[in-house]
Amino acid sequence: MDSEDDMHDAHDMESLEDDDFYSGDTEEGAMDYYSDYDDDAGDYFDDADKIESRRPEQNFTILKESDIRVRQEDDIDRVAAVLSVSRVAASILLRHHNWSVSKVHDAWFADEERVRKAVGLLEKPVVQHPNTSELTCGICFENYPRSGIGMASCGHPYCFSCWEGYISTSINDGPGCLMLRCPEPTCGAAIGQDMIDLLACNEDKEKYARYLRRSYIEDNKKSKWCPAPGCEYAVTFDAGGGNYDVSCLCSYSFCWNCTEEAHRPVDCGTVVKWIMKNSAESENMNWILANSKPCPKCKRPIEKNQGCMHITCTPPCKFEFCWLCLGAWSDHGERTGGFYACNRYEAAKQEGVYDDTERRREMAKNSLERYTHYYERWASNQSSRQKALADLEQMQNVHIEKLSDTQCQPESQLKFITEAWLQIVECRRVLKWTYAYGYYLPEHEGAKKQFFEYLQGEAESGLERLHQCAEKELQQFLTAEGQSKEFNDFRTKLAGLTSVTKNYFENLVRALENGLSDVDANGASFSKATSSKNAAGSSKGRAGRGKGALRTNRTSDDTHWSCEHCTSVNVKSATTCQICNQRR
Amino acid sequence: MANSNLPRRIIKETQRLLSEPAPGISASPSEDNMRYFNVMILGPTQSPYEGGVFKLELFLPEEYPMAAPKVRFLTKIYHPNIDKLGRICLDILKDKWSPALQIRTVLLSIQALLSAPNPDDPLSENIAKHWKSNEAEAVETAKEWTRLYASGA
Repeated sequence: MDSEDDMHDAHDMESLEDDDFYSGDTEEGAMDYYSDYDDDAGDYFDDADKIESRRPEQNFTILKESDIRVRQEDDIDRVAAVLSVSRVAASILLRHHNWSVSKVHDAWFADEERVRKAVGLLEKPVVQHPNTSELTCGICFENYPRSGIGMASCGHPYCFSCWEGYISTSINDGPGCLMLRCPEPTCGAAIGQDMIDLLACNEDKEKYARYLRRSYIEDNKKSKWCPAPGCEYAVTFDAGGGNYDVSCLCSYSFCWNCTEEAHRPVDCGTVVKWIMKNSAESENMNWILANSKPCPKCKRPIEKNQGCMHITCTPPCKFEFCWLCLGAWSDHGERTGGFYACNRYEAAKQEGVYDDTERRREMAKNSLERYTHYYERWASNQSSRQKALADLEQMQNVHIEKLSDTQCQPESQLKFITEAWLQIVECRRVLKWTYAYGYYLPEHEGAKKQFFEYLQGEAESGLERLHQCAEKELQQFLTAEGQSKEFNDFRTKLAGLTSVTKNYFENLVRALENGLSDVDANGASFSKATSSKNAAGSSKGRAGRGKGALRTNRTSDDTHWSCEHCTSVNVKSATTCQICNQRR
Repeated sequence: MANSNLPRRIIKETQRLLSEPAPGISASPSEDNMRYFNVMILGPTQSPYEGGVFKLELFLPEEYPMAAPKVRFLTKIYHPNIDKLGRICLDILKDKWSPALQIRTVLLSIQALLSAPNPDDPLSENIAKHWKSNEAEAVETAKEWTRLYASGA
């Protein structure tokens, strides 16, 4: 299926893409997508499902409050059943073992005695009260009939109102109340939820139940709350696979490992560094950019807080220059219109030489400027992503319905628009983080840097095309009165761009996560995922149509060649490298 | 007077403290505030505080016994767990408080603290350092202070 003929087939039919280095299975996906749609609508939906199922296996689960409750109750039931203890005791045991059922089992069956002692589950009372009709409360010292006295498994007697006070004090001190023990300091008998329910006021009971629920998420290593403000969902995560990205039902995506926002392909360490740098420098940076100019000679930023235009940089530089035109002061004088009105500056401004961006580029070597370069792009992709999110919402809430009316299409057939926007949002996120990646890519690794910048550039232009199409080209249909013929073409184009861009970015992420190992390895590590996906995609038996795997695991066989400039692997028939366009 | 609705528990504790005092400890309530106690603790034998009489004040807050009593040394004392304001670093006065504890148990714990200073959990950084670097010398200072400030005034 990855024969050269298929390859060409794919290329011939692929008109949207010319820089299709990464798009091995995209083309295939996209092609099937269109052609099936043309054939019959039924298959179209089939394929939509297929695309859905082709997404990588999800290794996390989002839990709503009700799910959390069910899981917690299940775990408690399980422990209670296996250990033959009460549910209250099971809950106490789980609480002490961070809600790990297996840890409870292990500890219990290794040494039940020790566990009982550690968590305070007594088998028989410490104190007996034979034949006494009255008991003295150990807190208020009053005498009560037996019916007015409550006690935990230990038998230490306290009256109901002292119990209530004791429990209430503990609950109001925070989640430590989940580990509550008998008031008697030498005792240690656990006070479980049964006692709370019996002895506490309603408000405290609710608080206790809330702490218990929270503890199930917070003390369990496998679960966390979604860090988005106001979100009440929790996430459980199953280890395995190097991907920590989690997207919550509230639409917030975050990294399981560091709970910062999702940041593939950049690793957690880099994210922390980058965020620290931003918080430390962004304010400084803004101030510096707004209030200073770099010395034309040594590039150090200079603030002009008083005096004339004649600036002398501090030693060791000592360069004398004009604040307005940043030219050497020695060129100034009466000839140039006096010291206070630099006509070199005025003239140049009129000619447009003093273009701010131009000057910035000139200063890019300066480390501050280097940072600014990456920061600005990082930040603008961030804001672009926010905008896209808003657009997506607008699309889902308003436009789709309208469009469905004017174009006489069921809303389900307009899913491609939402998918395009979802893809844009995701790509903006990835692109954003590639700038943090780029900032920390070592300067001396020239080849990697070049390769990285190439990939990033391609990704960026691909995304721009998709964004443009989803934003601008859709506009005409939103304002159109009735059905337009071009709508189907638009569908084809947008769906194609979406899938091509998706694929390009997936590969980009993988490449960056591999540390751009292709550059040194002269191999094609991208291809693994590509070919396995192809295998999944071909299950419907559409062999022979654009199943081109552009790159395979084989690096040096007679159907492929490696480019000596950028090391990427090309098919034999190609005379120029797919990646860097250098001739073979 | 604030004593009109004093909880039975406090009355009982007070009665017992007066009728069967713990050895080396005396505690009597102030005349105008039954929640305020004047306390004296004798320096335990075989401690640097031996022979000293230490005055303390003890106050039972409104929440007592759900909250711990507030206790403070009034006599100057050289001890790693007691600072120059007389505040005491003792777990049962803080997070380990239990309503099943009493004034008596608190004072006995403070007495025990005088016998066994714990420089690893210090309140007074300097004294603790002194204690750890040169215990003999620190003990001498504590004896000196006991003579100076706690010798039965």
